[in-house]
Amino acid sequence: MTESRVHHKLSPKEVVLAVLRWILIIFFALYTLFPLVWLVISSLKTNFEFLALSPFALPAKPQWQNYVNALSVAGLGRMLLNSVFVGLVATIFNVIVASMSAYCISRFRFKGRESIYTLFTAGILVPLNALMVPYFVIINRLGLYNTYGGMILLYCAIGIPMSTFLIRGLMDSIPLDLEEAAYIDGCGFFGRFFYVILPLSRTGIVTAATFEFLTCWNEFVFANLIVSSEKLRTIQVGIRYFTNQFSTDYVSMYAAIVISIVPSILGYILFQEQIISGMTSGAVKG
Amino acid sequence: MKPTRSDRGPLAAFLSPALVIMLTFFVLPVIYVVVVSMLKWNGISAPTVVWFQNFEKLFRDKSFIRSVTNNIIWALVAGFIQVPLAMLMAIILSRKPRGWKFFRTVYFFPQVISGIALATLWRAIYSADTGLLNGLLRAIGLGHLARDWLGTVETAFPAVLIYWVFYVGYYMVIMMADITTIDTAYYEAATIDGASDFQQAIYITIPLIKKTSLLTCVTLASVLGLRQFEQVYMLTNGGPANTTNTMVLYMYKKMQDSNYGRASASAVILILVGVIFIVCIRAIFTGRNEEAAAARKRRREMK
Repeated sequence: MTESRVHHKLSPKEVVLAVLRWILIIFFALYTLFPLVWLVISSLKTNFEFLALSPFALPAKPQWQNYVNALSVAGLGRMLLNSVFVGLVATIFNVIVASMSAYCISRFRFKGRESIYTLFTAGILVPLNALMVPYFVIINRLGLYNTYGGMILLYCAIGIPMSTFLIRGLMDSIPLDLEEAAYIDGCGFFGRFFYVILPLSRTGIVTAATFEFLTCWNEFVFANLIVSSEKLRTIQVGIRYFTNQFSTDYVSMYAAIVISIVPSILGYILFQEQIISGMTSGAVKG
Repeated sequence: MKPTRSDRGPLAAFLSPALVIMLTFFVLPVIYVVVVSMLKWNGISAPTVVWFQNFEKLFRDKSFIRSVTNNIIWALVAGFIQVPLAMLMAIILSRKPRGWKFFRTVYFFPQVISGIALATLWRAIYSADTGLLNGLLRAIGLGHLARDWLGTVETAFPAVLIYWVFYVGYYMVIMMADITTIDTAYYEAATIDGASDFQQAIYITIPLIKKTSLLTCVTLASVLGLRQFEQVYMLTNGGPANTTNTMVLYMYKKMQDSNYGRASASAVILILVGVIFIVCIRAIFTGRNEEAAAARKRRREMK
């Protein structure tokens, strides 16, 4: 290749590459978006339109009724509330516990610190699905089977290694001088935590919280495992039941899926930076 | 900072909640599955010790072998097809073509949508009568190819596996973050030397991310491939004829049958296969080729 990009004339080879590049970019975008758009359009059709007419035809009149069906008949509203409640409470406990442990690991040099850190790292890598049996037994033994408490405890617990890791990363970057100055001014262990470290690690905590909440929101395996009552079902478990319940009412089922996806997408667009930094920095470690 | 005497009490108090959780929900469960894998136990009556009988039975169970094979195929496809695709897109998007932020956002969507919702969506896409895929095939005159994708033995596993391969956003974002930290001077020098974009990717970008984000992504993708559950559970529940079974689904079913010994034994195997994968991938990526790449890079830098 003799032409350099310093010259603005493109060689035929470069044109081909540019076209290929755009084909790829657009292919991957369509691959993600097209099924979602199809899902939304299908969810606005009548069952007749969906079953008998072309899958690409638009609905004659958008059937908002499908969404009403999904929300009222299937009890989707309740499930959404369950998911929000469990996710929020678990996230709050999770970041409190994780900030406390991150503070200790990040700011103090004590015996056993390395082993504790290794334990947290290993915790990120363990395939949690493999621990279904013990989790089921532990939650049962604690008398928390089929309770909000069980879900909250389990969600809070399984997110601890990741949250500690994310918050610790930020705390590590806070200069020690600040803390020493506070110490000399007579600030104790708690004072330094609440007045110096915590306010400065806000972004790390927000990242961890966002990541934890998203994990809770999308979690299915354990919610399915430790809850049996319909009243406690989270949205993800709910979707699995719709597919049976609505086995002939396709359009309502699609409406239900759309309702479960919309909060994830909205949350993602709002907290994009936190989610991406949470998911990437965690991964870089793993 | 070294903890002062007065810090010791509060330090212990601050660490203990996380430590209790780690012991209860990580250390104890791993020990638990190892111990229970050697028992015959239905969860109610007294367990009996059977040592490695559960493992013997597992390896004689065709559907378990099928699960392990499926998971290994899954891990390899994820690590060596999905991740390279993601790398390609990371290289393309990190050049910041028009609208790159929009595309990055879109590619990442599947990562924030729950596995269950995505699987349900794809079940609808693969559906024999009403599915989008068959509709698409009929629309472009390939109607004879339309079939019950998830209900046919030959196509079920590829169908379950393949849709995820093109969701590259997660790994792409990880590698993009890495690529943007590469010193632009390398690229400027290469451009002056007349290196094409393609050559720059091969000789600069890939060697520089190989040991960091590329290794991470291959490891992560393979390990996640070994853990698959929601997708198969929702799409096929292991069928038809066990062709889409995975280790976690197998374990889940054994657990539903109250065969805790066998379920735990498969959990142990799942953890072991994961460790083997991590070790092997590390070995591949930090092997001999690494020096050659580094040498090439040094030569380029000297030019």
